[in-house]
Amino acid sequence: MRVLLVDDEEELVSTLAERLDMRGIDATWVTNHHDALAAVEQEDFDLALLDVRLPQMNGLELKRLIAERRPEMKFIFLTGHGSEEDFKACSAESGPEYYLIKPVQIEVLMAKINELTQS
Amino acid sequence: MKDQQVTADTQGLHFFGVMTASISHELKNALAIINENAGLLGDLALLAEKGRPLDPQKLTVQAERIRQQVRRADDIIRRLNRFAHSAHEGPASADIHEVLDFTLALAARLAAMKNVSLSVEAGTPVQLEVRPFQLENLLWLCLKQILATAPEGPSSVVFAASEAGEEAVISIRCDGVPLTGTVTSVEEEGHPLLAELGASLHLETDALLLKVPRRS
Repeated sequence: MRVLLVDDEEELVSTLAERLDMRGIDATWVTNHHDALAAVEQEDFDLALLDVRLPQMNGLELKRLIAERRPEMKFIFLTGHGSEEDFKACSAESGPEYYLIKPVQIEVLMAKINELTQS
Repeated sequence: MKDQQVTADTQGLHFFGVMTASISHELKNALAIINENAGLLGDLALLAEKGRPLDPQKLTVQAERIRQQVRRADDIIRRLNRFAHSAHEGPASADIHEVLDFTLALAARLAAMKNVSLSVEAGTPVQLEVRPFQLENLLWLCLKQILATAPEGPSSVVFAASEAGEEAVISIRCDGVPLTGTVTSVEEEGHPLLAELGASLHLETDALLLKVPRRS
């Protein structure tokens, strides 16, 4: 399974990618929307984990751009904010169960990834 | 005067909300990184139980990463504490450079989201009698308007302070951000604050000038 992680906190995504790798997931991480779009143009991913509040482009906009290019991909949103506004917008895109608030326990994230990719 | 105070207070509440939301986001990120690094240590311990040798260098790196994030979170909380106190403090003597440094530290994450870097030019102290929270709020209103018109590419905003007679002058220079319209927008939104501080905003060739009486 291939997962793309997008968050502007490099240490967060790089460590999370390492932990997902240990669990058999081929994880690639990037820290901005330009690199995320380049990655999905070049490689196939099953799922993207997107920070909601990215610099210059929010995770919702990025999700729509990725989905245009890769309609088969699934998405999980990750946020530090947890505002009602973000929750409603992200829930409308991917369902409320795939909107996770930092910090996230790896078991919870793995369960969400498995649910989405096996559905 | 009372209506003006109410409006300035309402504006202050909005400013306080925006900044504390941003600070809480920063704290969440620090906690998330601590969580992942601690989790990775746990993962390595589990692998060690299954016979994979532990790499002491790797453990040292992970432990140091956790310490760095604890320091980062501590800095954020100190900033939040100072900000919270500034909201209820009355007028006091302050060096504008300190107010600028603090305000830019508060706004740095919001600016970074727009790919804008912030800095303060070093200079001799410029003392003025002010409610720091109100000056922070007015500086944020200026910065907010600048960020709203910032182009997609990287840009920078440089603040500097000097004295001109009885006034303190804060200049705001922007590289790559158009300033046309900024004065009108700040005056419209910030008129209660400008009035409370007795401050005025001017557009010069390449900079915004914010003039504040040194004694209110």
